Amino acid sequence: MAMLKVDNLFKSFGNVKAVDGISFEVEKGEVFGLLGPNGAGKSTTISMISTLVPPSQGEIIFEDTNIFKEPNSLRKKLGVVPQDIALYPTLSGYENLYFWGNIYGLKGKDLKNRIHEVADIIGLNGRIKDRVDKYSGGMKRRLNIGAALLHMPELLIMDEPTVGIDPQSRNHILDTVLELNKQGITIIYTSHYMEEVEYLCNRVCIMDEGKIIASGTQSELVELIEGKTQINLKLDMMNLNLLEKIKEIDGVSDALVFDDMITIYGENADILLADIIDKVSESERRIQKIDVKKPNLETVFLHLTGKALRD
Amino acid sequence: MKIRNIIIKDLKIILSDKKALAIIIIMPIVLMTILSFALKGTFLTSDDMFVESVDIAVVKKYDADKDSQIFAESLKNSFIADGMGEETVKNLISSGEEVDPEEIFFEDFLESEEVSKIISYRIEDENKATELLNKEEVSAVVILPEKFIYDMKINLITPFRNNIDINILAHPDRNIDGLIVKSVMEAYSNAMSSTIIGKNVLIETALKYDVDTSKFVNMSDSMDYMSKVMENININIENVSVEGRKNINSADYYAVAMITMFILFAAGQGGRMLLEEKDNQTYQRMITAGTSRFELLSGKFITIFLIAIFQIAAMIIFSHIALKVQWGNLSLIILISLTASFSIAGLGSFVGAATLRAGNYKMANIFENAIIQVMALFGGSFFPIDVMPEFMQKLSFLSLNGMALKSYLKVMVGYGLEEIINYIALMAVLGVLFLVLAVVILKRKGVGDDAEYNKVKAVEA
Repeated sequence: MAMLKVDNLFKSFGNVKAVDGISFEVEKGEVFGLLGPNGAGKSTTISMISTLVPPSQGEIIFEDTNIFKEPNSLRKKLGVVPQDIALYPTLSGYENLYFWGNIYGLKGKDLKNRIHEVADIIGLNGRIKDRVDKYSGGMKRRLNIGAALLHMPELLIMDEPTVGIDPQSRNHILDTVLELNKQGITIIYTSHYMEEVEYLCNRVCIMDEGKIIASGTQSELVELIEGKTQINLKLDMMNLNLLEKIKEIDGVSDALVFDDMITIYGENADILLADIIDKVSESERRIQKIDVKKPNLETVFLHLTGKALRD
Repeated sequence: MKIRNIIIKDLKIILSDKKALAIIIIMPIVLMTILSFALKGTFLTSDDMFVESVDIAVVKKYDADKDSQIFAESLKNSFIADGMGEETVKNLISSGEEVDPEEIFFEDFLESEEVSKIISYRIEDENKATELLNKEEVSAVVILPEKFIYDMKINLITPFRNNIDINILAHPDRNIDGLIVKSVMEAYSNAMSSTIIGKNVLIETALKYDVDTSKFVNMSDSMDYMSKVMENININIENVSVEGRKNINSADYYAVAMITMFILFAAGQGGRMLLEEKDNQTYQRMITAGTSRFELLSGKFITIFLIAIFQIAAMIIFSHIALKVQWGNLSLIILISLTASFSIAGLGSFVGAATLRAGNYKMANIFENAIIQVMALFGGSFFPIDVMPEFMQKLSFLSLNGMALKSYLKVMVGYGLEEIINYIALMAVLGVLFLVLAVVILKRKGVGDDAEYNKVKAVEA
C-alpha cells in the first residue's frame, strides 16, 4: 500500500496554473524523485504535500488520512528540507537544532542526544557551536537538512537541497540521503539536476508546466526513448551556423548549446557521428572532444518536451 | 511549550543583534541623558515656543487702605520720620498717597502691552485662587503678601528697605506656565529697580521736599541705591506647592519621554518579525512542524511585551541612578509599565500581521519612519505637549506613548491611581483591540501561504 497518494491535484494562483492535475503514489521506504526544470510546479507540489498550501482541487492521502482534513497526522511524521535555508543565521548551529527540536516536541536529554546524533549525520559536530552566518553554503545546507531530521521523521521531503553548493558538499548530502533511506526513511526528492535523481531515486516523476509528463522507474522511463542517443561535442570555437547545419542532419532531433558544448540528440549514433564530423570539417572547425551517451532522464525529458531540462 | 521556545529564540536573536539593541536600549539612554542636560535651562523657560496666554489669579493678601494708613502713621510717629521736619513729613505722606504700588503692579505692569500678551490675570481671594489652580483653570497663582502696599511705599518713598515676598503657586502639570509667570514676575522686579522708576521717584520726592540741589550731584550713586531698594522684592515660586506635589524637571520629563517613545520601536521591531520569519522560510518550516499561526503570533506578542518591559526597566533604573529621577509610587509605575507594554505588544502584533499580509516591509517601514514620529510628536516625546496648541494637545490621546507619558508624569508628581486609571484602561483596551485585529488579519485566507505564488509569478515573468 502506498504511504502517500497524490490524487488529481490542482493549484492555481490567480490565472497561473502552478499544478495541473497531477497524481502519483510514494511507496514506503523508497526515494521518490520529482524531476523538472525551474517553474515546473515541483515546489508547489511539495508545499501542498507539506500542508503549507491547500490545493485548489484534489487530495493528498497519507496513510489513509486526508492531510488537509487532519494535517497533524502527517506533520508529526514529516520532515521538510526547504529549498531555501530556513535557519536563524545569528544563532549557532546547536541553538538552531535545539529550537527546531523543541518545536518538534523534543526536550531535555533526549533532545541534546539527538542533536549530537544529527550533527554526526550531517557532519557538523566540530562546528555545531559556531554561528550559522559563519558557515559555508554547504554547511548551511547540511544544517538545513539536520533540522528536519531531529524528530526522526518517517517521510522526508527534500526540495532541491543541493542548490548553489560546492561538489564536495553536494556529494556529502547525496550520501546522507542514501544513508537516511537505508535507515528506513521514505524520501521525496525534488531536483532539476538529472544526475542527482538518477543517483538517488528508485522511481521518478518528470514534471513540466504543472503536469506530470512521465513517471516510473528509471529503466521504465528510458525505455520510452529506446534508440535515442546523446552526443556531446566540443569545438575549438563555437559556430552557430554549424549548429543549424547539424540540426538539418537526418536523424538529429535537436541540438543545443550548453556552456561551451553542443549537445545533439538523435537516433543511431554511428551514422550521426559520421555526418556530424563531415559538417564540422566543412565549417573548418576542429573537434576538441566528442562523446556519446546512452539515453538517460535528460534525453527522456528532451524527447517528451522538446526542450532541455535546464532551460 | 512552543510559544515559550519561540519567545526564547526571538529574545536570543534580538540580544545578538547589535543594531536592534542600540535602537531599543542604548539610543534612548543616550538621548535621555543628552536632552536632560541640554534642555535643563530652556526646558521650562521656553520663551521662543508658541505659548498661548497664561491665565493667572492674583491674590491680594494686603489691605491697601490700611497699609497706606499705617504708612502715613509710621511717617508721623515712628523712627522713620526721625530727623525730618514737619513739612517734609507732610510732603512724604502726600507723596505716599500719590505713589500707588497697585497701579504700578496691575496697570503699568500686568496690563502693559507686552505682559498682557503673555499673561491674563484675575483677582481672586486665596481659597478661590487655589481652587482654580487645582482645576487647572489658572496655571499659577501670584500672592501679593500682607503689607505689600506699605512695604512698597517704604521702599519707594523712604530711604529704608523692606523685603517683599511675592509667592507664586504653579500647577504641577503646567510647570512651563508656572515658570513663565516666574520669569514675568522677575521682570517686574527688575523693572521696578530700573533707573527710570528710581529716578522719577527720587526727583519727585526730592523736589517736593526742597532737597538741597547738592543731593543731585551724586545722582548715579543714588540711582544705584534705588535699584538696590527694589531688588528687595523677592519672587519665590513654590514648586508644586499645590496639594503637596512636586514639579517636573528636564531629567524627569525626558526620562519619561524617551521611554514612551522608544517602546514604540519595540513594536516596530516586532512588526517585522513575522514577515522576516516568512522570508527566512522559518515561518513555513514552523507551520509544517505543526506550529499554528496563533502560536506564532502569541510568541511575537509576548516577545514584544518582554522587550518593552526590559526597555522600561533598564531606562527607569538608569534614569533613577544616573539622572536622579524620582519616579514616584512604584506599584503605579509597574502598573503603567505593564499596561503600556501590553498595548505596545498589541500594536506590534497588529503591525506584524499587517506586514505579513502585505508581503512586504512597507507597512513596517511606514510605522517606524512616520507613525512613530507622529505619535512621538503628539504624545509629547519631543517636547511637552502643553506648549502646543489645544487641538494638538487633544491628539495626544490618540498616541499610546502620549497616554503612557501622561500616566508616568502624573505618578511622578504625586497623583494616585484614580488620576491615571482612564489612561491605563484606554491603553489596555487599545492593546486588546490591536491584538484582535492582528488575529483577524492572520485568520484571513491567504496570509502566509502565498510564498509559492510569488515564486510562480517570478518564473512567469
